[in-house]
Amino acid sequence: MADHSPDDNRLALKVVFYGPALSGKTTNLMQLHSLLNPQRKGELMVLETRDDRTLFFDMLPIGLKGASGLDLRLKLYTVPGQVQHDSTRKAVLSRADAVVFVADSQTAQQDNNATAFGNLEENLEKVGLDIDTLPMAVQFNKRDLPGVVGDAELQKRWAETPWAPLQMASALHGKGVLETFRVLLDRLYTEVDREFALDTDHGIDRDTFIRQLSAASEDSRAYL
Amino acid sequence: MRTFEDDPTLEDLLSADQLQRLNRMLSALCREPVEIGSDRKDGALALEFNLETIGWLAGGSSEQERLAAADLVSFLMMFIAKYRLAANLHHDTTEASYAELQKQNEALKASEARYRALSDQLQEQVDEQVTVIKQAQMDLYESARLRSVGQLAAGVAHEINNPIGFISSNLKVAGEYVNDLREVVPDTRQNRELLDDFTDLLGESSDGARRIASIVSDLKTFSSIDQADYTLCDVNELLASAVHLLQTEYGHDLEILKKPGELPKISGHPSRLSQTFYNLLDNAAQALREQTQESGAEGKAGRILAKTSVDSDGIRVVIQDNGCGIPESIREQVFDAFYTSRPVGSGTGLGLTVARDTVRAHGGSIQIDSREGTGTRVTLLLPVS
Repeated sequence: MADHSPDDNRLALKVVFYGPALSGKTTNLMQLHSLLNPQRKGELMVLETRDDRTLFFDMLPIGLKGASGLDLRLKLYTVPGQVQHDSTRKAVLSRADAVVFVADSQTAQQDNNATAFGNLEENLEKVGLDIDTLPMAVQFNKRDLPGVVGDAELQKRWAETPWAPLQMASALHGKGVLETFRVLLDRLYTEVDREFALDTDHGIDRDTFIRQLSAASEDSRAYL
Repeated sequence: MRTFEDDPTLEDLLSADQLQRLNRMLSALCREPVEIGSDRKDGALALEFNLETIGWLAGGSSEQERLAAADLVSFLMMFIAKYRLAANLHHDTTEASYAELQKQNEALKASEARYRALSDQLQEQVDEQVTVIKQAQMDLYESARLRSVGQLAAGVAHEINNPIGFISSNLKVAGEYVNDLREVVPDTRQNRELLDDFTDLLGESSDGARRIASIVSDLKTFSSIDQADYTLCDVNELLASAVHLLQTEYGHDLEILKKPGELPKISGHPSRLSQTFYNLLDNAAQALREQTQESGAEGKAGRILAKTSVDSDGIRVVIQDNGCGIPESIREQVFDAFYTSRPVGSGTGLGLTVARDTVRAHGGSIQIDSREGTGTRVTLLLPVS
């Protein structure tokens, strides 16, 4: 749930990167950290990992100031994908405002995707959220690997869902990460604007919201 | 409630001691003392963490020094905050897992209680069924026994009836012949005595034959093999025949006092009622015999009272003896099937069981009052309907 404190004129939003183990959630966040150049950007916090697997979560805070002086924060979280960390996943997912589901494109991982998606649906329900109304973007990562399920087939499979079209990405190479994030911001804006009148009360329109929060850092791009 | 993701304040990250220590260490690095606090002072630099100002850094000899110190503090904060975040998250998830475990535990407990109740219920049903089966078995056993005894008795009675018939009528004719002889033989004292004695002999034989006929008739009443269903019974008559049968078995020195009252006829199963009366009288007779054996010949005279009366509750049949009584210790068991205090082979342990079941079948009740060494009184109550 968006955390709005009118006294400080602050609005904190929470975006959670969800998905099966090793699908590239942390990679997405690390790429956003280096690719993004929003108005305000904090440190990427990578909490304890073991063998490069997330144990707790990673977090990247970014922010933007509205014309009204609104201090808008976006905290991007990843969850641990491994099955045994379900209670941590649930804790991180609680009070989320939007979710990016990062799926693994490899043919062999399709069952894990389905399991993780079912787990997301279940945990959302447990923390009092509804998957049908929560702003969400679905990304199929690892498009660079051989033996992935084809674009057309995936798009067809998801065509009837509220999350079509899918975002195709190769997070390791920084491809599709920003695009996914922008799709999410677009869907998130609709909800947040409805509740907090971003446009009318704070002078943040849809374009500003997306552009400011996902401004790419040309330096980083060049560096990559 | 604070959650792990709430932005930390300066106090959350550092204790007062730690903050002081940090101030000292930073001051040691700078030319002028440096101070971190939550209040903004002139020229102070904001310490940011997660886009959040968590404190202000003042002092130092120059802007450059302050910037360097602030950078160092931010770098340190990051690791402190990481630890805090991880610790808080761990705490949150542990609490949540524990709460969930407790919930599951409660659910398990509830389900265990449910199963326990169900198991108790099932056990009750099994016990009930076992009782029903035991009862049915006993009824079957008893009715089979009754039937075989009845068949035997009826058979014997039938076989005896004919010879007794002609013995009786022959004795009568023989008596007339003796009278005829009196006319024709010379009237001497010896002949007279002979013929008188002859008459007495025939008379006693006739009595004997009559008694046999009466026993046969009692046996037929008792077995009542032809009366499978309920009929109107005269309780006094059934009791009298049971008394008679008992006296035949025990000899006529057994004193049985009969006090029959005026009774209406009741609907009942005559052979089962007879059997019940006989069982109770038999118990009384055994009690008397035991008392005599214990106290020797000079003990008080044994007596059985068989009394009937009627009141608003129904017909009351009292069979009372002044025999040995029932010891307190076995009084609970006397109605149990196959329970007997008698030597092996002399009692089936069904006497009182049959009595109770019969009385119940007639909608009545049975009550035993007994004192050891003094006697026993059995009261049967049979409703008149």
